[in-house]
Amino acid sequence: MKNSTLVIFMQLTATVALTTPGLTSSALAATGSANKTLSYALSTEPPQLNSLKSTDTESFFILGHTMEGLTRYGKSGEIVPGVAEKWTMNDQGATFTLRKNAKWSDGKPVTAKDFLFSWRALVNPKTASEYAFIMYPVKNAEAINKGKLDPKELGVSAPDDYTVKVVFEKPCGYFLGLTAFGSFMPIREDFYNSKKDRYAADAGDLVYNGPFMLTKWTHGASLALDKNPNYWNKDRIALDRIDIPYITPDNNARFNFFKDNKVDLLETLNKDDLQKAQAERLKMKNFADGTLLFLEFNFRDKRPTANKNLRKAIASVFNADEYVNRVVGIPGTKAGLGLIPQWLRGSKDLFRKEHPMAARKANVAEGKKLIELAKKEMGVTSIPPLVWLTGDTPLSAKEAEYFQSLLKTTLGLELKIDKQIFKQRLAKMSAGDFDIVAAGWGPDYSDPMTFAELMTSWNENNRGQYKNAAYDKLIRSAQATAHATTRMTAMADAEKLAIDDFAILPLFERTKVYVHHDRVEGIVRHAVGPDPDFTMASIKTTKQ
Amino acid sequence: MSQTFSGDSGVAEAVKSSDLHPGTGAAFNADDFEPAVRINRFQGLSRPSLSYWSDAWMRPKKNRKATVSLAMVVFLALFTLVGPFLWRIDPSAQDMARISEGPTFAKTAVVIDEAASWTAPELSGIPAAPTASAENLLAPATLEADGVPSSQAVRLKWAPVTGASAYAVYRSETKPSGKVGTSELGVPIGEVDAGNKVGYEDTFNLERSEYFYSIVPKNGEEASKFTTLRVVLPSTIALSAAQALKSDIKVGETLHLSAHPFGTDYLGRDLLSRLMSGARVSLFIGFFAPLVMIFLGIVIGGAAGYTGGRTDNLLMAFADFVLALPFLLFMILFKIAFGVGAGESGIFPMLVAMVILSWPSSARLVRGQILQLRESEFVMASKLLGARPIYLLFRHLLPNTMGVILVSLTFAIPSAIFTEAFLSFIGMGVAPPTPSWGSMCNDGIQTFLTHPHEFLFPAIFISITVLSFNLLGDGLRDALDPRMRSTS
Repeated sequence: MKNSTLVIFMQLTATVALTTPGLTSSALAATGSANKTLSYALSTEPPQLNSLKSTDTESFFILGHTMEGLTRYGKSGEIVPGVAEKWTMNDQGATFTLRKNAKWSDGKPVTAKDFLFSWRALVNPKTASEYAFIMYPVKNAEAINKGKLDPKELGVSAPDDYTVKVVFEKPCGYFLGLTAFGSFMPIREDFYNSKKDRYAADAGDLVYNGPFMLTKWTHGASLALDKNPNYWNKDRIALDRIDIPYITPDNNARFNFFKDNKVDLLETLNKDDLQKAQAERLKMKNFADGTLLFLEFNFRDKRPTANKNLRKAIASVFNADEYVNRVVGIPGTKAGLGLIPQWLRGSKDLFRKEHPMAARKANVAEGKKLIELAKKEMGVTSIPPLVWLTGDTPLSAKEAEYFQSLLKTTLGLELKIDKQIFKQRLAKMSAGDFDIVAAGWGPDYSDPMTFAELMTSWNENNRGQYKNAAYDKLIRSAQATAHATTRMTAMADAEKLAIDDFAILPLFERTKVYVHHDRVEGIVRHAVGPDPDFTMASIKTTKQ
Repeated sequence: MSQTFSGDSGVAEAVKSSDLHPGTGAAFNADDFEPAVRINRFQGLSRPSLSYWSDAWMRPKKNRKATVSLAMVVFLALFTLVGPFLWRIDPSAQDMARISEGPTFAKTAVVIDEAASWTAPELSGIPAAPTASAENLLAPATLEADGVPSSQAVRLKWAPVTGASAYAVYRSETKPSGKVGTSELGVPIGEVDAGNKVGYEDTFNLERSEYFYSIVPKNGEEASKFTTLRVVLPSTIALSAAQALKSDIKVGETLHLSAHPFGTDYLGRDLLSRLMSGARVSLFIGFFAPLVMIFLGIVIGGAAGYTGGRTDNLLMAFADFVLALPFLLFMILFKIAFGVGAGESGIFPMLVAMVILSWPSSARLVRGQILQLRESEFVMASKLLGARPIYLLFRHLLPNTMGVILVSLTFAIPSAIFTEAFLSFIGMGVAPPTPSWGSMCNDGIQTFLTHPHEFLFPAIFISITVLSFNLLGDGLRDALDPRMRSTS
């Protein structure tokens, strides 16, 4: 989850220089009607298509179309059979029965061994996968990843070529969702070994078992996916080709590609695009992408933000409505309430409905009192300037300036805005080189645990190093059972602890507004899983 | 410089003789033997004297471009120095109710009470989640605003649609064409997730005076039929916000809002006051960096030119070396070396980098001039008469290079302003919230297509400033170069 989380802030600037690739023939295909080709533009090139090492949304988008795990995500985000035909699951483990007609793009069958190989490789410390922890619900995974056990000891076995048996370390109610996740994709051992370091380096260095295959990959410029003729469910795939003729971080350029009919989908519109889109009379849709954006405070020693009253003062002057409506300015955006976003399901209903949390009201007078209290506790007459770490996009700069003025006028706090590129920001977050960081977290699987685990003391992504023994204990207890109500209650209690401690200040739950051309139908947006999902898309046949 | 005298050639006029009596030869009287009165009538000036400086002043006055640009420079100086005293709006004060407003001069708003909380009407007797296919859903029979819409909130309520399990609310700035297929209803502003909830409160970024709301019934998919309502929003302000501006204001009264002649930016900050405070940064860099740089240039160039020989060679080789250093890299290095942390202004390292890396060009100019003057006759004469080097330098050499120096100074100013703008544009200059013209351009370019004023105003100011200084420099060069005199 490491990075699917943080990619968020890599929203695209209009100032980045754009190298416009020439008009390729495939780009023109978007306007053809008989052609079953869908065109799309990516904001960045997928950095890593080796599913053992991928961590970002672009890579998981490609992998979600070219690979298939035991299960996959359906139209409304539900789990549907993938390579596995059927399965049984209980608290101790799960057994998956693989379909016999699942094939790799070179015609060889997909077998249980392919899963065994990739799962063991994922937790192998030699692979050094950033996503190894996602396998931890499987028996011995953590011990293997820490180098204490041999990868062969992983709690997965293949009694025959078409059965995968999984033994859990602890009960894991959301394990099915994990099997659809990018890191759980199968890899064929013989192919992987034949390519060695070249594996997934180019279109020809991968073998695919998903609905599409990567057939063209001009690094930094374009990609093309063609329908996989050996895919077991190929009759259900309506598209012949997904063409990605443009890779550009420039939002304006992508908007123009869409306007000029060169791409069929514009994945997200920013605040200022909304007016342009209205002027162009585009049909806008919105979808909540599941990401929570929040302020993370630094709890390390000697940081002013380690003082609770200071954090509370900041929280009490924050006006969520104004922020969401005026600064973020994307309709449908929800003000953040807690650590666990409102779209996640609890035991029966939505988690937030089962465990409601009151919206916070801004109270400047209280904030002023609290800041005086904080100064007294810290023994200072004025609080030193706080370092606000944020991304280098225009939006994050605006957000930072909004807070800079807000905290200055209400609390008299000075903010130093530290804008960093993504990698550098990540490094500074890990090093604790900040007081407040504007962070975001996207879900890996559809369970509140993907958020609740974030603030535990052992989580690498708890960048502020918030430590609360009671919180850790509650999360441990939630992880030790499969009983839904117990788990949800424990997570809700833990969440309340973190929020009352002001470990984070939830800002908003992100919504994306997007547009697509009428000729395309069935584009699915997922909060969890590859997004956007074109596997169910089709091209309308139009009369000419 | 030599002065032009009117009158005859230099010598005194012929002596006025007393009466001569040619031809007589004999008649002399005593008077004739008085010594002749020597009348020293020196040459006189028939026109007022024209000094170097008055000539230099005269010529640009005739040059229309130079005069206009000089006026512009004066205006900019006033804008920067006096402006903030006249236009007293805090450049970093944010007004979230007036984001990205175009130029406004007289805006009023009616004070209204704080919006009481409102919940959408929920009807009993209608199933919240019925089952009907989306194609068969009808449009809501009625759609109206609940209460008076204001720029704080618009509340809508509509008649329930049988079979709908949800309603999508769209908002458009232009009237939907009414075509079936709901392809242009505007922004999807929200959704009501039950068929029996027939109201929606819109508080999202209400900045226009007119909106078209469309309600589309849903059941899984959106229906193709919808109802649209035009809502006119009077300009209003909530009581608490109004009281912050004027303490004794009451609900129902009209409040005059502050004018923003250049509009506001993406956080509702006044652009005019931001331009003024941005000008301070831009012009400070624009004057200070060239001044220090020219001073360095004079010292080094003067020393090299005057001493000549080995020192000259060494200094000029060093100048060549400095010229080859990359500016941006050094700017970054200085930023680190000075310990300028994150979120702190990069103006000082920028200044140092500019001075350290740009003196060679002026040093070369000065050195060239001095080298030439050193060999000229009047300097030699002065030397022969025993003038000391310091005297020579300050009396003869430097004043004669003044023209070159001033001209290169005026050309360095726009380039310094431009460098600052560029560096702030790429985020290496000022730290927020301090504005500078360059950083304002950077912010504004994001919204250029929707709110062009945010980009255009700072860009225009940069262009005008750079242009005026360039034209002024041009005029000055003509004025200060004595060789140009005969042509004017």
